[in-house]
Amino acid sequence: MTELDADQQRLVELMIGYQNGNMADFNDLYSTLQAPLTRYLWTFVRNASAVEDLLQTTFLQLHRARRTYIPPRPVKPWMYAIARHVALMHLRSHRRRREVTADETLPDIPIPPAAEKLGDRKMVRRLLLELPRPAQEVLVLHHMLGLSFVEIGHVMGISSGAAKVRAHRALKTIRARIGEPGA
Amino acid sequence: MNTHGLPDPLRRAIAGDLRPVEPLPLLWKRALGVAIVAVAVSAAVLASRALRPDLVVLSPWVGWGAAILEGLAGLLVIGLALRESVPGQALSRRTIGLAIGIGIAMNLIIVVATRIDVAPGVALWGPLTRGMMCSRHEVMFAFPAFLVTVYLVVRAFPLRPQVVGLLGGLGAGLAGDGINHLLCPVSSLYHVLVWHTGAMVVLMLFGWCGGELWMLIRDRKEEE
Repeated sequence: MTELDADQQRLVELMIGYQNGNMADFNDLYSTLQAPLTRYLWTFVRNASAVEDLLQTTFLQLHRARRTYIPPRPVKPWMYAIARHVALMHLRSHRRRREVTADETLPDIPIPPAAEKLGDRKMVRRLLLELPRPAQEVLVLHHMLGLSFVEIGHVMGISSGAAKVRAHRALKTIRARIGEPGA
Repeated sequence: MNTHGLPDPLRRAIAGDLRPVEPLPLLWKRALGVAIVAVAVSAAVLASRALRPDLVVLSPWVGWGAAILEGLAGLLVIGLALRESVPGQALSRRTIGLAIGIGIAMNLIIVVATRIDVAPGVALWGPLTRGMMCSRHEVMFAFPAFLVTVYLVVRAFPLRPQVVGLLGGLGAGLAGDGINHLLCPVSSLYHVLVWHTGAMVVLMLFGWCGGELWMLIRDRKEEE
């Protein structure tokens, strides 16, 4: 069993325990998923306290939806789909109320290894954040959070081919901008 | 914060509602529930109503075959709606477009195929009366399958309820049209396009709007 398989298997076991009403399994799920979910939510919202709120809302929604997780399917696509929904709902409601979330100083959020090796870390992070949100999402989900393109398709409602193309174009854009003078 | 970094309000909310839950049945089991209702409705309708008089002129493949094929296509589309209603199983735009395109095309192809074989001269009572009756029947035959689909969707956690509603309406509409195909003797393109396909489109829109409304209510609740 590879490390990735073992990781997925552990998440499946925790989810089954959680569905059976085991609080300790929920605690373990929280501590395992907190960091990757936070990273994913940063692609939607650039505000530390908003991300923290969205993380809590995501876990509440995961709780409400816990019976819709069907073992032994991979947990991650199910979980990121709910997180994505929470984030989009937040953006929609802010648009409706015409509120603008003020940017705070960006924390030292990790960047995908595929992008990191393209150049200076700080510059790559800035270029990554300048990409359109769907492109950032695909890069983060694939290169950082380890989802396959098929799984990304199931999270975002796009085909696996479209996910692959978005990731490729996003990396190409970063590469091109690094090559640009003044990048 | 506790040792796991789990915030106390969240821990309290989860711990207060931690009853064991049964995972959703697999997709095919949920779709089977809809299929059983659709077959029961078809059997009841066909046993209680006169079949179209020109059905004997059509070959069984065109008459019964087309109706069964349309019903199966409807169930397949309902299966897609049920799949979409589970997080992490979102359909791509291409799949949704294909389902809608193939569903409506199938309806039209069956009309054209049966029209070629049908003996002309079927008595009409007046296009409007006949048409409205056909639409009413179509919606009536589709409704039980639609309601079961809605029930199953509500028990899941649709993230795009409008898409689920659209596909649910299309699937139920196709199943309803499959039954209607065996009852309605009018196969003129105008009649079928306006009253049969039209009823199906109305069901799709009904599903879409229902989903939009659901999403609005859910968003409002979340904001509160």
